[in-house]
Amino acid sequence: MFKRKSECQRLKGMLSPYIDGQLSPSERERIEGHIEQCDACRRELESLRATANLLHRVPMVSPPRSFALAELAPINRRPVAFGALRAATAVAVLLLAFLFLGDALHLFGPGLIGEERLAQDTPEMLNGGEAAYQAAGYVWPVWQIEVALVAVVVVLAVATAILWQRRR
Amino acid sequence: MSGRMCPMEEDELIKRCRQGDLDCFNRLVERYQREVYNLSLRMLGNAQAAEDATQDAFISAFRGIGKFRGGSFRAWLLRIAANACRDQLRSLRRRPTTSLDALPLELELDRHTPSPEEYALSRELGREIGKALSALPADQRLAVILRDIVGLDYEEIAQATGSSLGTVKSRLSRGRARLRDHLGQYRELFR
Repeated sequence: MFKRKSECQRLKGMLSPYIDGQLSPSERERIEGHIEQCDACRRELESLRATANLLHRVPMVSPPRSFALAELAPINRRPVAFGALRAATAVAVLLLAFLFLGDALHLFGPGLIGEERLAQDTPEMLNGGEAAYQAAGYVWPVWQIEVALVAVVVVLAVATAILWQRRR
Repeated sequence: MSGRMCPMEEDELIKRCRQGDLDCFNRLVERYQREVYNLSLRMLGNAQAAEDATQDAFISAFRGIGKFRGGSFRAWLLRIAANACRDQLRSLRRRPTTSLDALPLELELDRHTPSPEEYALSRELGREIGKALSALPADQRLAVILRDIVGLDYEEIAQATGSSLGTVKSRLSRGRARLRDHLGQYRELFR
């Protein structure tokens, strides 16, 4: 009983290729030998064959017009532009996240998030401009970069959103 | 429909298309537009969307003809058409005013003159086939349409769907079984 059921299951997926003549001679013999003994598989085969025959009666209709191309239309580069913009936005966001994280962890010296440095600023540093900060170890203008990058991200995101909207 | 081209003639046309010859491409359009349109119509169940998908497919094919690497041009073209259908399906789903109901099918009747009852049953069956097709998962629907309506062989279906022969066999088996189950109540008409 178990063997019969298992053979039916194994052959089930071969019935459709059998109808289409897509099996090797040995596979065909195996199916034919099995359906001689198995009523259920024979009924399954016949019902699949009847369904395929029914679908063959669905007519191929004539197209309502010619689809010949009248002229070479300009190439629509929007998908490429959209993909590039999306990638650029993602890169800018990742870079911004890296900068924020580095700033928060003081990897670049005191930065935007390290507000406590303001209390430590000496009058020389406050009056001496960037050179005094650099002399004190403040090398990277991190917060300026962050602000600029935020602006870049906003511009890229808006452009990406507009293109995405147009694609719809 | 014009007669089938010999492969050499088709190769020559494709070669000229690669050089930008639109007239040669339009000869290929004439040859294949019926199959592309019917695939689109049965995939989408919507005549206007099928027209749009067919036109998009031919435009994409002309622009991408340089990427055709030989083999069956028909299968390559139908693969582009299937992608155009996917785009149209997405577009249809985003437009709630567009009906996604299955387009009724007109079945070919037997050669003998059908009685009014047979004609009515055939029309009803055609409607049910349209519904059953539209209820199939897209990959199974594509395989069934390419095999049983357009008439591709398994190799061409594999090329047109970008899948293996085993996957084609499996999708066709499952697709036909689902259709059979859906149409079970009309089984007396399956002859």
